[in-house]
Amino acid sequence: MNNQHSPSHNQFWSLLSKKLAKEANPEELQELHFILLNNPDLHHQADMLTEMWQQETKTNRSEDEAAYMRHIMKHKDEFFVEENTEETNDIESGIEESNGVFRSLFKRKSLTIFSFILFIILVGGAIYLFTQKRTVALVAEQAISSVVTKNGSRTKIVLPDGSQVWLNAGSNLDYNNSTFNKELREVSLNGEAYFDVTKNPEKPFIIHTKKMDIKVLGTVFNVRSYSDEKIAEAALIKGSIEVTLKDRKDQKIILKPNEKISISNEEPKAEKKPEKITSAKANPVRIPQFEVNDLKPNPTYNIIGEIAWTQNKLFFEDETLEDIGLRMERWFGKKVTIANESLKNVHYTGNYENETLEEVLLSLKLSKTFNFRIGNDNVVIY
Amino acid sequence: MKRLEDITLLGQKIANDDQLAYRQLFIHFYNNLFRFVMGFTKNKELAEEIVSDVFINVWRRRKNIEEIKNLKLYLYVSAKNITFNYLKKLHRENLANLDSVEIEPEDPFADPGAAMITREMNSKLRAAINSLPPRCKLIFKLIKEDGLTYKETAQLLNISESTVENQLSIALKKIGGAIRFIFRHN
Repeated sequence: MNNQHSPSHNQFWSLLSKKLAKEANPEELQELHFILLNNPDLHHQADMLTEMWQQETKTNRSEDEAAYMRHIMKHKDEFFVEENTEETNDIESGIEESNGVFRSLFKRKSLTIFSFILFIILVGGAIYLFTQKRTVALVAEQAISSVVTKNGSRTKIVLPDGSQVWLNAGSNLDYNNSTFNKELREVSLNGEAYFDVTKNPEKPFIIHTKKMDIKVLGTVFNVRSYSDEKIAEAALIKGSIEVTLKDRKDQKIILKPNEKISISNEEPKAEKKPEKITSAKANPVRIPQFEVNDLKPNPTYNIIGEIAWTQNKLFFEDETLEDIGLRMERWFGKKVTIANESLKNVHYTGNYENETLEEVLLSLKLSKTFNFRIGNDNVVIY
Repeated sequence: MKRLEDITLLGQKIANDDQLAYRQLFIHFYNNLFRFVMGFTKNKELAEEIVSDVFINVWRRRKNIEEIKNLKLYLYVSAKNITFNYLKKLHRENLANLDSVEIEPEDPFADPGAAMITREMNSKLRAAINSLPPRCKLIFKLIKEDGLTYKETAQLLNISESTVENQLSIALKKIGGAIRFIFRHN
């Protein structure tokens, strides 16, 4: 016990600390080694402390994720990527800024004259409308809010009616600030979004996409309508939605929970069936150009592919490398080119969460090989 | 991710509005910062609010993020400052110092079955760690669990590097003493 307090022992603890904290230089490491050689009784402590030091600290990912969601929700206004493309009106800017919304304005000179004329009309109109308290709505008449995500980034927004929208990469969602939530709740979507719509039977929520309009009363679902993809689809998680196809407005298709509708995104006249519709197990409706199928979790990963992205998972199920390339392009924000035609139709399945682009590609090539080269803003697969 | 280069890279992405990178930074540091702040506030809701403030400031100032030389240290310093400001506002200045900090380090061995560690030894180790003086325990935790360097720890706590060095070796000596005791009795 006595020599525990001797100078060499104090030196030992200092050196061991430095070693564990990775602060020791080579001389100090050697000195520690020398002390241990001469003091076998210290070995056990040194080994145990080293082992203790190297224990992985346990992390509770889901706790951290939940804290992140609370953080984002608390500051949701700051995570809007709002780019008002159709206005320069100062009055409007004032209104929006008072909402504390983070925004980057695109100034457009061509609109200035129009704005000025509108302003004159509004001042006149405002006097008349003052008592009816509709001034603000009218002032903001042309206020199109446009939420845009670049490739490589996704965002979550809360609409004025409280509905939540998770917007996937490379997408945009537009709505008219002044009319939204008046009689209808209308938005336009190009890209992919997951909606959790606040229930309000009085004011139907309508999503306009290139090929279909989706009308809902209050529900959770995913819509995917990228203009560069062959298929557009809507997948319903709960509630019910009513889909109207743009080229057959008289017909309404009602989806039940856990069903999805897939539509060919190609221009009409090409009467061929969509190429990539799989898992055609139950098909209640079968009309050319679209299909309704059951949503089924992938048995291996227990993930519903359509909404995996909302859980920050890059998931694909028996998809061609060509389609996967597009997905990765949006997910990672790098242009993906497949230089070898024969690779385009090779199918892959995979589930990724925190992996880098390189890690995903390395993992994919394990099942069916290819070469790739990652540049600063592009990837070539060959 | 403990490495500074990776964190700097995340910072660059965040400067370009990359919310995925921001999320990664948050998830990576949340738990450690939360527990650091908890040591001072002893209140979960307040600690969460403070860490949320730390990160929202990062987002708001993301355009200048690359001026920060050491983003990791910045997060801790900012957490400390916000914590102390909160405590001052709550008229609890006396709590805003290093000698009243109550840090709860993690279990020495999260999975004692995996290593050749008896349950007795694990609880002895935990007891030894918990009986360290507050400042000493904090320094031990910051270096071991949070992976801070001596220099970063010194800057964060406004103490000298040699104090950090001394305190860590005192901590290890005490914890080592507990192991030695068990060893003798086995």
